[in-house]
Amino acid sequence: MLKKIECIVQPFKLKEIKEGFREIAIDGMTITDVSGCGKQKGHLKNIKSDKSINFLPKVKIEIVTEEERVEDIIDVIQRLARTGHIGAGKIFVLPVEDVIRVRTRERGRSAIE
Amino acid sequence: MAFNLWHNALELLDNVAKKINLNEVAHKRLSKCVRELTVSVPIRLDNGSFEVFTGYRVQHNTHRGPSKGGIRFHPDVTLDEVKALAMLMTWKCAVVGIPYGGAKGGVICDPAKMSIGEIERLTRRYTSEIIMVIGPERDIPAPDMNTNPQIMAWIMDTYSMDKGYVVPGVVTGKPISVGGSQGREEATGRGVTYTTLNTLKHFNMDIENTSIVIQGYGNVGGATAELLYKEGCKIIGVGDVYGSIYNPQGLDITKLSKHLAKTGTVTKYKDADSIENKDLLELKCDVLIPAALEGQIREDNAEKIKAKIIIEAANGPITNEADSILKQKDIYIVPDILANAGGVAVSYFEWVQGLQSYFWSKREVNLKLRDIMTKAFYDVLAISEKENVDMRMAAYMLAVGRVAEAIKIRGLYP
Repeated sequence: MLKKIECIVQPFKLKEIKEGFREIAIDGMTITDVSGCGKQKGHLKNIKSDKSINFLPKVKIEIVTEEERVEDIIDVIQRLARTGHIGAGKIFVLPVEDVIRVRTRERGRSAIE
Repeated sequence: MAFNLWHNALELLDNVAKKINLNEVAHKRLSKCVRELTVSVPIRLDNGSFEVFTGYRVQHNTHRGPSKGGIRFHPDVTLDEVKALAMLMTWKCAVVGIPYGGAKGGVICDPAKMSIGEIERLTRRYTSEIIMVIGPERDIPAPDMNTNPQIMAWIMDTYSMDKGYVVPGVVTGKPISVGGSQGREEATGRGVTYTTLNTLKHFNMDIENTSIVIQGYGNVGGATAELLYKEGCKIIGVGDVYGSIYNPQGLDITKLSKHLAKTGTVTKYKDADSIENKDLLELKCDVLIPAALEGQIREDNAEKIKAKIIIEAANGPITNEADSILKQKDIYIVPDILANAGGVAVSYFEWVQGLQSYFWSKREVNLKLRDIMTKAFYDVLAISEKENVDMRMAAYMLAVGRVAEAIKIRGLYP
């Protein structure tokens, strides 16, 4: 079963996380600069009365992997993306129906290995 | 204590009935078990002589689905005890919303004094004696005190031989090689872990600053310790039958589990102080998780409990008298029928997988278990807050209400 891990993290944590992935032999990923907001609507403190929405810059990392590796990858992100403050990020796990490697036409597991 | 368990169960039902205005029909029907079977189980012993054992299988209720419940082998088994435990299973299945009624079985015997061969013959003959009331669509046994995956495999094999084809769905808690489920072994501990995390979230407690004490380090306590440790909790004390250990800075559970695998006990672990088992329960901590035997927190030690929250991983670890004392001390108790229902939930998954002959990955099992446990926690919490009752009463109100609803909708035959 293939899964996609999509995580949103603080940009300054990217380098460490990339290192962490290398240590557990994850080599394929897609990185995108994104901006968005969460429960605090982009404010750095917990201000419930302010109704304005503010977008903060973040980095999105996407990895497609075998189901058995999902927990290891989550562990790395959880450990290295932590800042101790709000806005450290989120991790999403999604099902992936299929993967095709264009060059070789390989499908499924062999397309990501 | 065993002789009045059934009366306690009835008393509890009466109390809940008053709270939810249970209609008379449902109350009367739930005060009786739908079927109580007593069987004699003759087997040949290794020394050539033979013995006749007594066994029971009781189905308390089947309004929400086929009945489900463990089989125990123990010298103190009585019909009243089996009836009370069958009723408890009805409530447990209803609280977590899985489509089962409640049952329980037992054989009066002392497996510690029996050979493996004798236990196998006892299991097979007992299965054969209750075969007319069990089955994947009738009543599905599972492991309980002194019964294990191997014994479940013998039940499955005996039933299958009788039918003439393989029926994996007749029993749960089987080894994986004959249709068991991934994640079944640690399921109760995993369910306790989810319940603990949900409770901490409810109180806005920071996981890393939460100190936890776990009594019992077997299938349930050990798995709970490992999983909570992985989540970042500080486990400051644990104990098994041989003794207890304490480290206010938090135990390294990974190292402790290695020590246990080597020595067979958590005692004599070097990075902790040894303490008496009775002192373990009285340690100052945020969360106490009794995961050993019933009746551990009693009238005589309840006053000394210093935990803020108790998660009942074992069945009935707090006596009724102790429960009132703890309530006065404002200790928040998450009851057994909610907290330790992870076992029966994954049993349900095993049964579903067996029926469809299609097996799930461990991740899939764990995610589904988390959904069930979390939903059940918030269902009970909602009743507790709305009706202003403790979590135990709320869980029973939810459970009895669900069964009563099924009784009302199905009506009376003929």
